[in-house]
Amino acid sequence: MNLQVLPKGALVEWIELLSARYRVIGPKRKQEVVQQQPAGDTQQPPREQYIFGELQGAHELELSYPSTILPPKKVFLPQKEELFSFKDNGHQVDLQLDERRTVIFGIHTCDLHAVLLLDQAFSQGAADQHYMARRANTTLVSIECLEPCSENAFCKDMGTWIMPETFDLHLTDLGHEYALEIGSAKGSELLQNLTNIRTATETDYWRFNQVISAKWARFPYRLEADLSELPSLLAISYRSQVWEELGQQCLGCGTCTAVCPTCYCFDVVDEVNFDLTSGKRFRVWDSCQFGQFASVAGGHDFRNSRAARLRHRFYHKFKYQSDSFGLAGCVGCGRCAEACLVNIKPIDVINKLHRKRVAVSGKRQEVMG
Amino acid sequence: MTVSTKPKVAFFDFTGCEGCQLTVIDALQTHADLLSAVEIVQFREAMSERDEDYQIAFIEGSCSRTSDEARLKAIREQAQIVVALGACAHLGGVNALRNWQSSDDVRRYVYGQGGKLYDSHKALPIQAIIRVECFIPGCPIDRNEFVNALKALLQHRLPRLPDYPVCAECKLNENECLFMRGIPCLGSVTRAGCGAICPSFGACCEGCRGLVSDPNIGWLRAVAVEHGLREGGFEAASRLFLSHELMESEGDRHGKH
Amino acid sequence: MSLPLIETFSTTSAYLPLVARIADVRPLTQLEKLFTIELPGDLSLKHAPGQFVELSVFGVGEAPFSISSSPSRSNGTFELCVRQAGQVTDALHALGPGDAVGVRGPFGRGFPVRRFRGKDLLFLPGGLGLAPLRSLINQVLDERSNYGRVIILYGARHPSELLFQDELTLWSAREDVEVQVTVDRSDGNWQGHVGVITTLIPEVQLYAPNTVAFTVGPPVMYRFVLVELLGKGIREGNIWLSLERRMKCGIGKCGHCQINHLYTCLDGPCFPYAQIKRLEEAL
Ligand SMILES: Cc1cc2nc3c(=O)[nH]c(=O)nc-3n(C[C@H](O)[C@H](O)[C@H](O)COP(=O)(O)OP(=O)(O)OC[C@H]3O[C@@H](n4cnc5c(N)ncnc54)[C@H](O)[C@@H]3O)c2cc1C
Ligand code: SF4
Ligand code: SF4
Ligand code: SF4
Ligand code: SF4
Ligand code: SF4
Ligand code: FES
Repeated sequence: MNLQVLPKGALVEWIELLSARYRVIGPKRKQEVVQQQPAGDTQQPPREQYIFGELQGAHELELSYPSTILPPKKVFLPQKEELFSFKDNGHQVDLQLDERRTVIFGIHTCDLHAVLLLDQAFSQGAADQHYMARRANTTLVSIECLEPCSENAFCKDMGTWIMPETFDLHLTDLGHEYALEIGSAKGSELLQNLTNIRTATETDYWRFNQVISAKWARFPYRLEADLSELPSLLAISYRSQVWEELGQQCLGCGTCTAVCPTCYCFDVVDEVNFDLTSGKRFRVWDSCQFGQFASVAGGHDFRNSRAARLRHRFYHKFKYQSDSFGLAGCVGCGRCAEACLVNIKPIDVINKLHRKRVAVSGKRQEVMG
Repeated sequence: MTVSTKPKVAFFDFTGCEGCQLTVIDALQTHADLLSAVEIVQFREAMSERDEDYQIAFIEGSCSRTSDEARLKAIREQAQIVVALGACAHLGGVNALRNWQSSDDVRRYVYGQGGKLYDSHKALPIQAIIRVECFIPGCPIDRNEFVNALKALLQHRLPRLPDYPVCAECKLNENECLFMRGIPCLGSVTRAGCGAICPSFGACCEGCRGLVSDPNIGWLRAVAVEHGLREGGFEAASRLFLSHELMESEGDRHGKH
Repeated sequence: MSLPLIETFSTTSAYLPLVARIADVRPLTQLEKLFTIELPGDLSLKHAPGQFVELSVFGVGEAPFSISSSPSRSNGTFELCVRQAGQVTDALHALGPGDAVGVRGPFGRGFPVRRFRGKDLLFLPGGLGLAPLRSLINQVLDERSNYGRVIILYGARHPSELLFQDELTLWSAREDVEVQVTVDRSDGNWQGHVGVITTLIPEVQLYAPNTVAFTVGPPVMYRFVLVELLGKGIREGNIWLSLERRMKCGIGKCGHCQINHLYTCLDGPCFPYAQIKRLEEAL
């Protein structure tokens, strides 16, 4: 391993250097708009919220953020993106590819795993050049989490609380300095002209290992079933009453899929100009939780209840994607649980299904014994 | 698809605040090419001449008087396409708040002793009186939605409204949910399309765009209570724009239809 | 499967349609029209029967359509039989020869024609289901000697909804094709069979072990047809269906067409019944 050490103060210089060559994005504080509400209301002040956004300088970068509202997928797959424009009734079409050189700072390991999953989804078969163009021109600077970011996170269970094999640059907070691992040529390119960086000494390695091993105990397991059991757990739970119960609660709002770092479903819409002969085609985020997602012309809806749609989300996350990519479709970031108004949380859902299975097999054993 | 002659468009106002028509005037400023595509033949807010020959009628305001009904029917006779413009025409609007009381009480309250002389009744969406092809929801309407709806009509198709809740757009804007600040919000049962403009500015969604087609009102009520809104508070909040729709769905449940 | 058109645009974007021209429009019924589309330059679609394209009307949107012409008869052009059903299809019906449309594809898995050589082929299209099956039928007829019997049982709701009547007549006239047509409701002039498509099946004598069946139609039809076919002893792996789902991308990205873990646009739309019978969301 090639470990470098970077004093925290050097971030200022580094981001300045990078800003000359790249669009630099990182976690920063979100400025919430607060409106005066009538007196006697239940209103509380907004909590600190973080988002990935373009950085004006190192002072905006919040590397010890807990989580962001939206994951970094929005950089590769913007909420609304132009695919192409057309003129003359389509006789002329012009492709839009975004090839801005970009660096994203401060990606947590769960989100990094999620990006790798998106890479799979968008590169296999006919590749998605719009995603690939952004991805190819982006370098990721990830950061090790030393504490769980929330009680809803279950990254340890999903195996995403540690680094994946593939990365560009990775930071670990050593107190006054960052340990910096170099994972790719693209990553080391970011270090060009950076003076305030040194190769790790024996002591640095020791400190680094201390920090990493202290992390283990701080992260709890939250699922009662093992990652490898999830596909089979779901395989027997298709007709579980749990989906009906959750379907009653679910608002169908699509918040869970919007905030999910591995959800990528989209819709495609045209916008025309007043000449009716020119316009643009856009891709916009969609959600399998919306009523129209699986409906076809003529009105037939192939997933026609909130329960069925919610079940599909859990199956896509915990079974289908594992079956087809060999990677779980959920990285355990906890965002969906954090954001769901009716408290539908993967940890609870999985544990509930698991307990039901245990109860059933317990009964079976009683009968047989 | 070329349109040989410019379609003629007329705007009408009924019981409403004319805020939506102001948005239209605003759209005319920002989309100068709009006037190259249509001919506006009637628009009291913006011009004095009138022409009774039109194909597309935009109707603002709710129907709240018996005399409105005849006027609406006359417009329906002439127009090929009737568009309900804004929450009042679409849902009855804020005016429909009074539908929870008897019309006599409302008349006495608003007009005092002379109330009996006025023919106002419940504030109804225009769809309760005439067939409506197209809806542009909102209080006021969203400028882009108006422009896009007009383009769709010019393409001889009916614009399609999103059928998912405002929360979806609220998340696209990366807002913290207002419930987390103890502010109750109707975004999760309200039809999206406004870009979640209110929550994005820190104000709760009041449901001005009407309900999504499968609203989970029961659970939203529970959420509101869980976040400290007093019992009955949800009902009060939802009446501002959703009175007519809620009364209709009550009616459905009691088999009144 | 070769994806020739994708290759031509894979260097740019899989979402960028190729601009093609409508060469001909022929009304078939009140609701359906047959569009002949001409690709630019010397490109040809090189599709397999059962595959589909994404067709764009610029400024309105894009929708998936099965290719209705047979690969054996495509020469820089291909045909789509389109029912007027909504935004894109309405707009398409308003277009005429010379107008531009966007084409992406061909997408999906079609019918593996080679595998059916020497077999007796039983086609059961219901309504618009004839559009994709016509591609396979004509391919089979163009290499007729490779196959055993060819039996076509076609059902529509009403005589006025029968598609490709001229071709049905041609097929019926052939010695080596057995054709039966039925309608759910007749009108005064209808001389033929009346009843749903399943009523035709018991009357056909089949040698089940050598028969491959193809059925394409609305979801409700499948359930009944499958019962009959399985009752005849045709193997589950030898019954082919084509499934419709909402589709946006055609290349396994947008997520709309999922049937449990399968993507209809990649794994289908043509499936042997054996592959989907255990999928809860399939039928
Ligand atoms: C593999 C395949 C092959 C097909 N082959 C043929 C064929 O050969 N011939 C043929 O005629 N048809 C075929 N179809 C069906 C055809 O694709 C549809 O009829 C077509 O997509 C309708 O598009 P539209 O824009 O006209 O309809 P619209 O109803 O306007 O629908 C456009 C899209 O939006 C969706 N939608 C519907 N309502 C709403 C709403 N309220 N909000 C948001 N979205 C909505 C629809 O599900 C559809 O995907 C095929 C479909 C598939 C999947
Ligand atoms: S699970 Fe929660 S966040 Fe997801 S759609 Fe349902 S209510 Fe919304
Ligand atoms: S499903 Fe929830 S916990 Fe899992 S990755 Fe998505 S947002 Fe995170
Ligand atoms: S199907 Fe649903 S859960 Fe899966 S990626 Fe798409 S939106 Fe997310
Ligand atoms: S603030 Fe309102 S619209 Fe936004 S997520 Fe919360 S409930 Fe939904
Ligand atoms: S957020 Fe709600 S109240 Fe505000 S504009 Fe949208 S629908 Fe209307
Ligand atoms: S059509 Fe987009 S995934 Fe199949």
